[in-house]
Amino acid sequence: MKRYLYGLWVVSTSLLIFSCSKDTAGAETALAQQFIQDKTWYLDYSIVSSASGEKTKSYVGQSTYFINFLSNGSTKDSDGISGSYTIEKTNNQLQIHVQAKTSAANSVAFIYNLETVGAQNLVLFYQTNNQLTKLYYSAK
Amino acid sequence: MFRKKIKYFIAFILLLLAGQSFAQDTTSNMLYQKQLDRLYLKRPFSEVVAGFKNSVKVKWNKAFVNFANNETYLFAGMNLSKQTITSQNYQSAFNYKLDIINKNVFNPGYFGGVRIDGKYKEKYPYSFSFALNKYATGTNYKNGKSIEPYIGTFSNFKAEQQMLILSFAAHYKYNMVLGDTSKRKLYFVAGPSLDFRFSNQSLDNRVNNLYKAIFVKADLGIEFDNQSYYTLFLHYKQGVHSITKSPIKDYIGSFELGMLIKASDLF
Repeated sequence: MKRYLYGLWVVSTSLLIFSCSKDTAGAETALAQQFIQDKTWYLDYSIVSSASGEKTKSYVGQSTYFINFLSNGSTKDSDGISGSYTIEKTNNQLQIHVQAKTSAANSVAFIYNLETVGAQNLVLFYQTNNQLTKLYYSAK
Repeated sequence: MFRKKIKYFIAFILLLLAGQSFAQDTTSNMLYQKQLDRLYLKRPFSEVVAGFKNSVKVKWNKAFVNFANNETYLFAGMNLSKQTITSQNYQSAFNYKLDIINKNVFNPGYFGGVRIDGKYKEKYPYSFSFALNKYATGTNYKNGKSIEPYIGTFSNFKAEQQMLILSFAAHYKYNMVLGDTSKRKLYFVAGPSLDFRFSNQSLDNRVNNLYKAIFVKADLGIEFDNQSYYTLFLHYKQGVHSITKSPIKDYIGSFELGMLIKASDLF
């Protein structure tokens, strides 16, 4: 009798433990995808911070630059760059990886780090030559 | 000619009947054999099950010997619930505009279940209830954060607005003597409840698996028993701990308005 009860306890405990594990990384990229896709993102602001702490804020304006991320994995921006994109999590950082071609058919690849995304706001950033550039988009 | 046909017909019916009785004999013989087998063969699993059932029965009767005069009731009603959220130190890559998600109201849902009422030591009235609650909660975000240069206040956490909860509750009922208690009774009830979240979390909260699966609540309320025909009740349930994991503090409170009727009156 004790053997059966012990067996029952082992099975139920392992069920409880294993049923608690969740695929949170998968959920994170899926949620980012859900927010980002099938919208036109207009660049509102661009803020460049140098290593010395200097900041350059620029108001870009809604009609100047925009980018689309579609649910079929394709992307296109107002400069005529089109291609495909994926959302990935690397080193605990959500990123948008873009493989595209310019209007002159030159291949380009970008990686944007995703700072925050919501239904209407998207902040991306990247670092070049000790300069941190943050791009503030709004969905309309 | 006609007589001959009748003879053939009768013979055919007799043959059918004989066949059927033979078949029945075979079946009953097989059943009898199985019963004999059951008597003489060792069946460790069924013996374990029977032993387990017996021991549970003995323990159950021992534990609940003082819980007498039990009556089973069915109940249903509507709930109004709200979550109060403090999520200042929580960080995630997702933002939610508070203008859109903050709905500081009690939103309506519904519930239904079974309740057993009785008297402990034939003196103290109590109830045990098992209910399924569908919550559609309002959300009161106590604080937000800004994402400059955007205008507005944001939260990194979005509370679940729909939840399916299985609730177990135990109440002590205090009879407030008002007028003729043989006709109408008014009870003040209080007790704890243990809630199990049955619904899955939305994608927003699966990201960090934020919601707990089990909550404890405290329950206060009044119940009006009208000549044992029906009972109307109004309860207030307050979560005694956060239903989300740290650092988010999310307390749920709900009013429950319903009616309970004796199961024997319905069926």
